[in-house]
Amino acid sequence: MLGNNMKPSIILNLFIAFALVLCTQVAVSATPDPTEQFRPFLNKVTATLADPGLKAMPKREQSRRIIGVVGERFDFREMSKRVIGQQWRSLSEKEQGEFEALFTQLLQYAYVGKIDEYTGQQVQFTQQRVKGERAEVQTLLVDKDKSIPVSYIMLLRGDQWMAYDVVVEGVSLVRNYMEQFSEILRKDGYPGLVKQIEEKIAELEKSIKKT
Amino acid sequence: MRWTGCRLALVRLFVSVIGTVFCWISLAQAVDFLSDESYEKPEANVQVADPIEPFNRAVFTLNDKVYLWVIEPVATGYSKVLPADIRSCIGNFFYNLGEPVRSANCLLQGRVRDAGSTLGRFIINSICGVFGLADAAEHEFKIAPVYASFGETLSVWGVGDGFYLVVPFMGPSTLRDFSGTVVDGAAMATYSPWNDDALTTASAQGAKTVNRTSLHLGEYVEIKSMSFDSYIAFRNGYYQMRSKQFDHSKTTK
Repeated sequence: MLGNNMKPSIILNLFIAFALVLCTQVAVSATPDPTEQFRPFLNKVTATLADPGLKAMPKREQSRRIIGVVGERFDFREMSKRVIGQQWRSLSEKEQGEFEALFTQLLQYAYVGKIDEYTGQQVQFTQQRVKGERAEVQTLLVDKDKSIPVSYIMLLRGDQWMAYDVVVEGVSLVRNYMEQFSEILRKDGYPGLVKQIEEKIAELEKSIKKT
Repeated sequence: MRWTGCRLALVRLFVSVIGTVFCWISLAQAVDFLSDESYEKPEANVQVADPIEPFNRAVFTLNDKVYLWVIEPVATGYSKVLPADIRSCIGNFFYNLGEPVRSANCLLQGRVRDAGSTLGRFIINSICGVFGLADAAEHEFKIAPVYASFGETLSVWGVGDGFYLVVPFMGPSTLRDFSGTVVDGAAMATYSPWNDDALTTASAQGAKTVNRTSLHLGEYVEIKSMSFDSYIAFRNGYYQMRSKQFDHSKTTK
């Protein structure tokens, strides 16, 4: 009696397991490899940084050039959305666009100082994780006497992996800004946040001109 | 027959309860960047309460001034005198002295393998690395350093963070982690070469801080210049960094 009951269930389970394995394999083969897409991109970024012509340009031009290259695989809209958090949905289409432009500009100025620091550091790919439409590509930025772990968090857009967060030594850029912005949004609302970002950009711009 | 069934049910219940508890613990500690919850809800970000924020902000300002006016200028001068590779050897030396304490903490946390590798690192680096100046264990023997502290041990034992605490001259911590740091320091004092008097101990601490700063010059100012509220930026950075340190699963390393 028991034996008879058991048999079909084992077969059924095996069938389900087999079907599941088949499904995941199909899914895996359909998604492009995030590291394979990201490797040429990071090579392009380091090549642009290493270009001696870049350092001869004025600072503002330098940062525009870099952000142009970075924009190929970074989804600034997704970044802006995450940095604002739940309030994003309450912003109008126009405000969302305005914020995206502003946040991109902030990153552009925040990283322009980094250009001079680039002295041929190499990127090593350590491992990757894929979970549905999300992926994490882990790298090591290898410097002379230290190496810094840097992870890129990505989203699958069509057949392209687009990054929306950078995690340096375990600290996520988006989550760090998110906590700061949520305080500002709570106290001064969206207009207050825009004002503060504009002030920050002006401040960073001034310090660039000084150097 | 009924007894066996009953016992089996009890064992199952026990296993599921323990399983749930462990799941909760690991949920509370590991942050998965690939899940949206870690972005959408700040409370899921392993946040710590900050009830004494005004006090913390005052200490943060004090530490900021101490860093900008004393530590960084000293470290900058020091970095010009000694080349980077020698400074990183000195850093290795200080790190190596902490290995026995790290090994003991691993044992207290039940990480037997890590306890062994940390002790192994201490022995190899003290002998082959000339008093720990070189990290031969990592480069020659491929034994990577692991994080362990008494604050972490307390967390494994179920002690909560208490609250966020900015310690004068030390920086971000929590009540639990700072208590852990004090215990680790006391444990190290039992065998470290400079426990004769307070002045020697303080000088050694100062040297360690200056040496470490000299290897990370400009980073603090840069993070500050990019942030809107540097107090919050550093508090959040501290939480995030720590949840990575406490996470010993392979995927996030």
